[in-house]
Amino acid sequence: MAKISEKTVLNMSRLPILMSRISRSILTLVAFSFVTVSASFAAETDTTKAAAPAATPALNGKGEQLFKENCKSCHKIHEESVGPALTGVKQRHDAAWLHAWVKNSTVVIASGDKAAVALFAKYNKAVMTSFPTFTNEEIDAIIDYVESVPKPPVDVPKGPTDGTGTQGGGEYDTVILGLIVVVLVLVLVAMFIFLSVIKRYLKDKEANLDAEDKELLNQKFDVKAFVRSKGFITIVVLLFVGVTVKTCWVGAQEVGVEQNYAPVQPIAFSHKLHAGDNQINCNYCHTGAYKGKQSNIPSLNICMNCHTYIKKGPNTGEAEIKKLTDAYAAGTPIKWVRVHNLPDLAYFNHSQHTQVAGIECQKCHGPIEEMEVVKQQSNLTMGWCINCHRETAVNSKDNAYYDRLLKVHAESKKKNDMTAEEMGGLDCSKCHY
Amino acid sequence: MTMKTFNIAAAIVFAATVSSCNHNFDQIPVHETPRVEYAPNMYVSEAYEPVTLVEDSVNFPEAYNVMPYNNGSNLRLPVAGTIKRGAIPYHISKDSLAYANATLVAPIQPTEQVLAEGQVLFERFCSHCHGKGGEGDGPVNDKLQGVANLKSGTLKAVNAGHIFHVITYGKGRMLQHSSQLEPLERWKISLYVKEVLQKK
Repeated sequence: MAKISEKTVLNMSRLPILMSRISRSILTLVAFSFVTVSASFAAETDTTKAAAPAATPALNGKGEQLFKENCKSCHKIHEESVGPALTGVKQRHDAAWLHAWVKNSTVVIASGDKAAVALFAKYNKAVMTSFPTFTNEEIDAIIDYVESVPKPPVDVPKGPTDGTGTQGGGEYDTVILGLIVVVLVLVLVAMFIFLSVIKRYLKDKEANLDAEDKELLNQKFDVKAFVRSKGFITIVVLLFVGVTVKTCWVGAQEVGVEQNYAPVQPIAFSHKLHAGDNQINCNYCHTGAYKGKQSNIPSLNICMNCHTYIKKGPNTGEAEIKKLTDAYAAGTPIKWVRVHNLPDLAYFNHSQHTQVAGIECQKCHGPIEEMEVVKQQSNLTMGWCINCHRETAVNSKDNAYYDRLLKVHAESKKKNDMTAEEMGGLDCSKCHY
Repeated sequence: MTMKTFNIAAAIVFAATVSSCNHNFDQIPVHETPRVEYAPNMYVSEAYEPVTLVEDSVNFPEAYNVMPYNNGSNLRLPVAGTIKRGAIPYHISKDSLAYANATLVAPIQPTEQVLAEGQVLFERFCSHCHGKGGEGDGPVNDKLQGVANLKSGTLKAVNAGHIFHVITYGKGRMLQHSSQLEPLERWKISLYVKEVLQKK
């Protein structure tokens, strides 16, 4: 009984020491979580974009249907397009003239009608498609529909509102993280104060402490002795050797690997805009991708299929497109910088992979349709090639070339598919010769 | 420290640093200029490779393929007056659209396979302007304007030859697509538009 109480008393007297130890470990903990939170701060990402609302036009019977089917590709109601804006057309021309014009504008122009000739000249002598099958009532229905559509209100630039909308969620997270950081810093400061207060208190009562606790209170870290100790030197030397070996090993592995290579191109062409937003298929420009070894960089005439008329873009305005049209006018090719440079020592054929195997472009090139500047997504190492040849079953659907191979394979291996490896796809001479 | 603990410590530290040698190339930073290459003379082809420009005449004198007077590029037009192997000449001129419509007959039948291939080609080469359904509502139409609705009465009335001629030479705001599509591919698209799209 007496012994127990003695121990309790002793423990009570050591309380400040214990607290000092505890507060030290809490300090470490707080500092650690502070670092973690700061790191997560840096890793914070953007939230998703807001969806654009779709407009629903009012129904207006047959006139609207005919307009959409036949006219809207060249005419807008309130703006000039390929042809003039159609609103107010009733005031500009009488009904008989309009009927004749829509049915066959070439005849009206040939008749020497002043208004027709002037209109033809104004719109670059582009002949309007003739609609000889239209009845006068149908043409009137279209015009009535056109006149019934009210002028839309002028668009307010929606960029800034969009911006704040998308940042909303992110800002909220930032505020919370900021608060956590502030609280952690306060705790850190409080702990330091607490520690120094306890130390000062113990210094006053130093005479009452036993030897062990005194040592703990007055302990000082001897840096010199620590640095000179055999263990420390050994660990530092080993770390140095280890890091050096690793750096050399990694560096040697990375020789010739150009993953994430994103050269600056002579024209700031955006794949995100063309292949992503406008959904132009890769094959439209890279015409060889399904036919030959190379997938082709498009020649300027393919760019000009659209850019003869589209002179202004959403990213860079007119500047970059002008480089293109100037080069086309001068007849000089653009010197695009090749991104994927497979060394000549390895054979690769696009058509075998795209047309025969049916692999999507993105499998090797990554999400090209999301890239403003194209970068090399895959590392194009031999291990990368071989890994896919080991794992992927050959696409033998509707391809008689593989019939016998599959049959022989099914007999010997007892399974219905085969990988490229199993039909000799890893032979050195398949790619290196 | 005894020799034994020393050895153990050495092994642990060394293993810890070197163990992550299974390297992940994703960590290579995004870079604008090429990195180190080993034996680059094995990288470039001495024989001419398309879309491969070798501008370094000092290190690769045999592979150097910059053409003078051509903006330092090696892209060239075909020699004037030549046609490529297997090319079928097309004799009808651009302004004879009505003649093409009246006289041209597709050299292939609209079999199931031809129409399936036509659909693939249509979706790769046409749908961004003309729309997947051919109604002139593809995403590019918002910018280009003047894209024809392939299901309009006027175009339902024409023959496949009209469509072939327009793909070959262009019409209105559409420019020629003969450099991107072989004649047979143009016929497949024309037949797909006539036989499948316009009948939907």
